[in-house]
Amino acid sequence: MTAVVDVEQAGAPAPAAPPVAPRPRRRWARVVRFRWLLVMLLPGILYFLLFRIWPMWGAQIAFKNYVPFLGIQGSEWVGWEHFAEFFSNPDFPRLLGNTLILAALSLFVAFPLTIVLALLLNEVRLSVLKRTVQTLVYIPHFLSWTVVVSLTALLFAIGTGPLSSFLDGLTGTETNYLADPDWFRPLILLQTIWKSTGWGTIIFLAALASVDQEQYEAAVIDGAGRWQRTWHITLPAIRPTIIVMLILQTGEILNTGFEQIYLMSNALNRTVADVFDTYVYFTGIQQGAYSYSTAVGLSKAIVGLVLIFGTNWLAKRFNQQGIF
Amino acid sequence: MRTRRLAPLALLAVGSLALAACSSGGSGDGGGGGGGEALDSLSIMAPYLSATPPEADDKVGTELSKIAGLDLDMQWVPNAEYGDRTNVVLAGDDIPDVMVIQQKSQGFVQTAEAGGFWDLTDYLASGDYPNLVTENPDVQQASSVNGKVFGVYRARDVVRTSITIRKDWLKNLGLDEPTNTDELMKVAKAFTEDDPDGNGKDDTYGMIIPAWGASIGTGSPYDAIETWFGAGNVWKDEGGKLVPSFTTPEWKQALDYEKELIQSGYVNKDYATMDGTTGWNEPFVNGKGGIIIDVQSRASQLAELFKEQDPKTYDQKVALVGNIAGPNGDFALPTPGYSGFLAIPKASVQTEDQLKQVLTALDKLSSKDAQILENNGIEGDNFTVDGDHAVFDKSKQDFTDVVSGSWAQIGTNVGGFEAYKPKPETEYDAELEKERADLQAKDLKKAVFNPGAALVSKTYMSNGVQLDQVIADARIQYISGQIDESGLDAAIAQWKSSGGDAVTAEMNELYGQLG
Amino acid sequence: MATQLSAVPAPTPTPARPARRASKPSTQHQRFNTRAGRAFDVVNVVLLVAVGLLALLPFLYVLAGSFATELEITTRPFFLWPHEFTTDSYASILSSSAFVRAFVTTVVVTLVGTLIQLALTALMAYPLSKVDLPGRRTIMTVVVFTMVFSAGMIPTFLVVKQLGLLDTYWALILPMAINPFSLIIIKNFFQQLPQELEESAKIDGAHELQILRHVVLPLSKPVLATFALFYAVGIWNDYMSPLLYLGDQDMWTLQMFLRQVTASASMSAQDMGTELPPPAQGIKFAVVIVATIPVLLAYPFLQKHFAKGMLIGSVKG
Repeated sequence: MTAVVDVEQAGAPAPAAPPVAPRPRRRWARVVRFRWLLVMLLPGILYFLLFRIWPMWGAQIAFKNYVPFLGIQGSEWVGWEHFAEFFSNPDFPRLLGNTLILAALSLFVAFPLTIVLALLLNEVRLSVLKRTVQTLVYIPHFLSWTVVVSLTALLFAIGTGPLSSFLDGLTGTETNYLADPDWFRPLILLQTIWKSTGWGTIIFLAALASVDQEQYEAAVIDGAGRWQRTWHITLPAIRPTIIVMLILQTGEILNTGFEQIYLMSNALNRTVADVFDTYVYFTGIQQGAYSYSTAVGLSKAIVGLVLIFGTNWLAKRFNQQGIF
Repeated sequence: MRTRRLAPLALLAVGSLALAACSSGGSGDGGGGGGGEALDSLSIMAPYLSATPPEADDKVGTELSKIAGLDLDMQWVPNAEYGDRTNVVLAGDDIPDVMVIQQKSQGFVQTAEAGGFWDLTDYLASGDYPNLVTENPDVQQASSVNGKVFGVYRARDVVRTSITIRKDWLKNLGLDEPTNTDELMKVAKAFTEDDPDGNGKDDTYGMIIPAWGASIGTGSPYDAIETWFGAGNVWKDEGGKLVPSFTTPEWKQALDYEKELIQSGYVNKDYATMDGTTGWNEPFVNGKGGIIIDVQSRASQLAELFKEQDPKTYDQKVALVGNIAGPNGDFALPTPGYSGFLAIPKASVQTEDQLKQVLTALDKLSSKDAQILENNGIEGDNFTVDGDHAVFDKSKQDFTDVVSGSWAQIGTNVGGFEAYKPKPETEYDAELEKERADLQAKDLKKAVFNPGAALVSKTYMSNGVQLDQVIADARIQYISGQIDESGLDAAIAQWKSSGGDAVTAEMNELYGQLG
Repeated sequence: MATQLSAVPAPTPTPARPARRASKPSTQHQRFNTRAGRAFDVVNVVLLVAVGLLALLPFLYVLAGSFATELEITTRPFFLWPHEFTTDSYASILSSSAFVRAFVTTVVVTLVGTLIQLALTALMAYPLSKVDLPGRRTIMTVVVFTMVFSAGMIPTFLVVKQLGLLDTYWALILPMAINPFSLIIIKNFFQQLPQELEESAKIDGAHELQILRHVVLPLSKPVLATFALFYAVGIWNDYMSPLLYLGDQDMWTLQMFLRQVTASASMSAQDMGTELPPPAQGIKFAVVIVATIPVLLAYPFLQKHFAKGMLIGSVKG
């Protein structure tokens, strides 16, 4: 950990904070002191205003019956109708359940594996090997879900796929793993791990590259073993990165990704495969029902925001650096 | 990273952004006439299915512009992303003069009902545009929105469903081509159990069925069997009332037949997951399965693959059998007869004079000469004419692919297909071609059309995809044994309660109005 | 959630000293030369090689398939070397002038776009890394908000259109110029840098922009290289922006053509009308290779920077 002034610790309110009265002047003084930094901020602020905030004006279509031809202004106002329709859907609990289970698998299995892989890579001394393996594990990231799913179909083809034959040998029965509802989540998880674990290590490797080497040297002199060094130096050093990634992940909980699940779902496993993203695709996008899909997107975003701010607050409660 | 370069670049970016923001006022006038004056070019938005779209200076485009009397300004969009692009284009103000609309989606119907597209019903009926007068009024009606024709439909073969069977397997087992569903079951059984390839191994099955999109009435093997059993086609007219085909007893009977095929092992085990777009031919060609229920062109595709393997014997492998009789009568499953239509947005074509100008151009683009350009290409360049057939130059195959994958997409052919068909390479190919034509004529007589094709129910527009999915999934779950008959009934009850009853009521109301 | 500069000390008591001398790899090697350490090394290497192969094998299958005949792809379940070697699939892709033009366009847009996006992100992240910057908290809240909630396709399209960016390459770069996620990570990274270096530069009379250029950015090479890669891959793989914003097909990027070949078969519903056979598997495979190889080739150049610890590089000036 190289942070010297790790300033965003919660818990202890700044004791030096003065009473309210002299604030405006101090504030102005701060503006003057930071003027050049504020100027540097301008392009970014302009960007967020133009491309991130301005389009949100269009999000009002969630409360309208938006017809592109009539324009946003000209479309009929329907209030909360689309939201009511979404939440009163009889399938809602099932969609929520399926979404959360897949998100939990990704958060509690795939995410830790990413860190483990990064740590293992970090321990490799032969730099040629390290670089080669690093490059190799990034490859799956570049293959589209279409390719990944067709490779899965090849490997798990009933009776003929190498992996399905192997599993059949273990269980003694012939199963169509691609259609079995019990196998849907394991397969999705397997694909996610295969495709994204390697790519996910990038951030952690960047953080690991920044760990002060002298700490290791000092630890070696103190007689610390490899495991102790990992536990006492490496992990604390990348802890802020882990926490930030974790917070950002929780905001994505309801976004399971559409393409992978859509391509992996079929008539026989749909009871466990239906998630918000596929639902929105079928009811909204495929039908050109933009108001409805925007309403669903808005609902999901609110949940995501609550989760991000919540975990961020929690992180600070436990004396960790949050994302802001 | 040369950090010294970063800052100026960033400033440049921001600067140009600000400039762009200032200068955005004046632009926005599309290709069409902003006011009421005559059009000097015709912008058309269309999907393409070839690997790449035609180049801007494409020869076919130049020739078609001459025929149309207006410069064609083509906006090609990849087929897979056509829907997204359509919705964005409708939201902007740079709308083309003519748009290919692929399906009656909620977005399109709402726009049309809000007055976003010209109602062409009377113009097409006037006879002023002879090439746009349909040869098949039923299909034009089916392409309409509750009787209003908002586009010139793109005609397709009405009869396409057929059974393709391994001819040599039938011969090895001394079987005849099936003529009804019972015989089809017997052939499937024999192909599975009686070693049709004579290799002494139990390594074959009867029918090859791929996974199908979660919808009903889309020409799947299941849909075909259900129609053969007399369950109608999506909707069934029973005493002047429309009922969903899956509520008929014939539908259940057909499902039990499908269940028997699956449960007896006469179908590939991965019927619920096999990728049909890439994997349907493979088991047939490699001697694993011997029956495919699909479109007729599947037979030609398969014959072509056998030819690659062994040109000497390939004519012994594929037999084409049309729609077969079921226990309740003899029915054939037709296609909708069209694949989307060319609609004319009012935002770009604002006056009736402009509309007439566009219709005149579309009329010319449906003439015989235009059809040949759109479907065959440039005569003397990529093909030559031999009698009634086109002979394509193999060395210009890439160009031919672009023509059939792109320019053919703006062809309507509503007055009949007048371009050349490709010349069959061998006698057997010609035979297959003739058999197709014969079967089309024969099956057309017993085709069961969807009586609700033209009707657009409001509830179906918003919930239809999900409603269809309930039934399509229940069908597969039932035949796989995952649910029993009470489960199937529960799914139909769920369909009814979650909007299906409303759809039925709305459809019947519209049905009554249209007579 | 205190935003003020607080007096709570950092969790790690050892303040990092700016290390001017490079720590040599050899010292690192000596550290682990215990028996248990070596045993772990062996296991670790075996494990990672296995992981690497697992990642590589399917790709090799795709590579082999791109050089195989259609018949072989449909009949052989899995192979790493084609029986019959053919370059037909590549020939049919590369023969199209549109494809070659798109390839060049994509490379240029990706390079320029990545530079612009990275510059804008770093420029915004640096001020935000100063905890007592006025207005910082508001800006960060907005940033997080926009990360979770995006307005959607049509509203964004309308804005791009109003800004006059339609049919310009800016439309592929600017709407995604600052990724909130990247901004937050880079900001946090800047925040962890030792303050002494900046302080001493300030005492030497350096300007904030100079500090960013000469002190902060050189120290941040690993993280900048990482996000350069993220941004580059983002632009490279983007097919939605060219689809929505570029009407002129002469301007299209690679993904517009690649999607057509790879996505159409499984994503779009069966077109009732076309008699066209689905795109050949071999072409699909070739397309995957063509789209992936350039990024993989570019990777080692960025990787150089990952390997260096941030404190190893000496500080100029």
